[in-house]
Amino acid sequence: MSGHHISSSKFLWAIGSALFFLTFLTVAVTWYHIPSPWNVIVAIGIASLKAMIVISFFMNLWWDTKFNAMLFVTSIIFFGLLIGITLLDTLFRTDPVPAF
Amino acid sequence: MSDTSAVKERPKHLKHYFVDSDQQFEASKMGMWVFLVTEILFFGGLFAAYIVYRAWYPDLYLQASTELDTFWGTVNTAVLIGSSLTVAMAIRSAQLNQIKGLIINLWITISLACVFMMIKYFEYTHKFHKGIFPGEYYTYEGIAHEKANIFFSIYYMMTGLHGVHVIIGIGLMLFLVYKAKKGAFSSEYYTPVEITGLYWHLVDVIWIFLFPLLYLID
Repeated sequence: MSGHHISSSKFLWAIGSALFFLTFLTVAVTWYHIPSPWNVIVAIGIASLKAMIVISFFMNLWWDTKFNAMLFVTSIIFFGLLIGITLLDTLFRTDPVPAF
Repeated sequence: MSDTSAVKERPKHLKHYFVDSDQQFEASKMGMWVFLVTEILFFGGLFAAYIVYRAWYPDLYLQASTELDTFWGTVNTAVLIGSSLTVAMAIRSAQLNQIKGLIINLWITISLACVFMMIKYFEYTHKFHKGIFPGEYYTYEGIAHEKANIFFSIYYMMTGLHGVHVIIGIGLMLFLVYKAKKGAFSSEYYTPVEITGLYWHLVDVIWIFLFPLLYLID
């Protein structure tokens, strides 16, 4: 089986360390009470970066076929559609708060 | 015609409808990615509920998240990232034909997953003692917001579904240990290790988003 990407353990530990550091960072930024909405943007930004690191280098999408990458990107696009179209409704209701 | 594929020796793991091991491996991996797409959209529905209610009740999220312990949330994040690292190491061991390393890394991953569920158990029971239940069973008085139960319905659904995935992952990895001990895996065939690894990393990715969205609202 020649075509498989094998990461060195040094590389895997480097990726793990980067993720531990970003976890610390995402907690540390809350100590500074960044004003809204930037606190949410920073938190989601760091989480997205962490997710991209895991998906690229632990799930090996970086070296994988473009087809698998396309599958993943498609899921994100459809997730965006789900959120976007839902918010077009719920954010613009004249009577915004339902009974539930 | 004497030297056609009928005479060629085929490895035991190779199904007759695949040309070779690489094609079988790639097909399995693509199937797993299709499943992971459905998983992302499965959790996506819950994230949509989270976003809609956060847009409606921003104050509720600020108040209610103070009931969640940031320290234990951080510990659990580190535990899951550590387990992702050991799963990646397990796959590397399998690729290098180090079956002993594979089994050790799987056991470490299983232990970390159990630590995660134990911390989750203590977090849940702590809330149950205070009367923080989802939906209409909510009886806690400590949050001055009439919709406080909604935050915790979303919290229990998201972390609960994630917890179910962790438990399924523990089961899958116990199965991998059993198979590895029977000598089922080698550098020539480790497809179940690879796709279980993909599943486990996705469970980690979901938690990477749940942690700041639930615990770190200041």
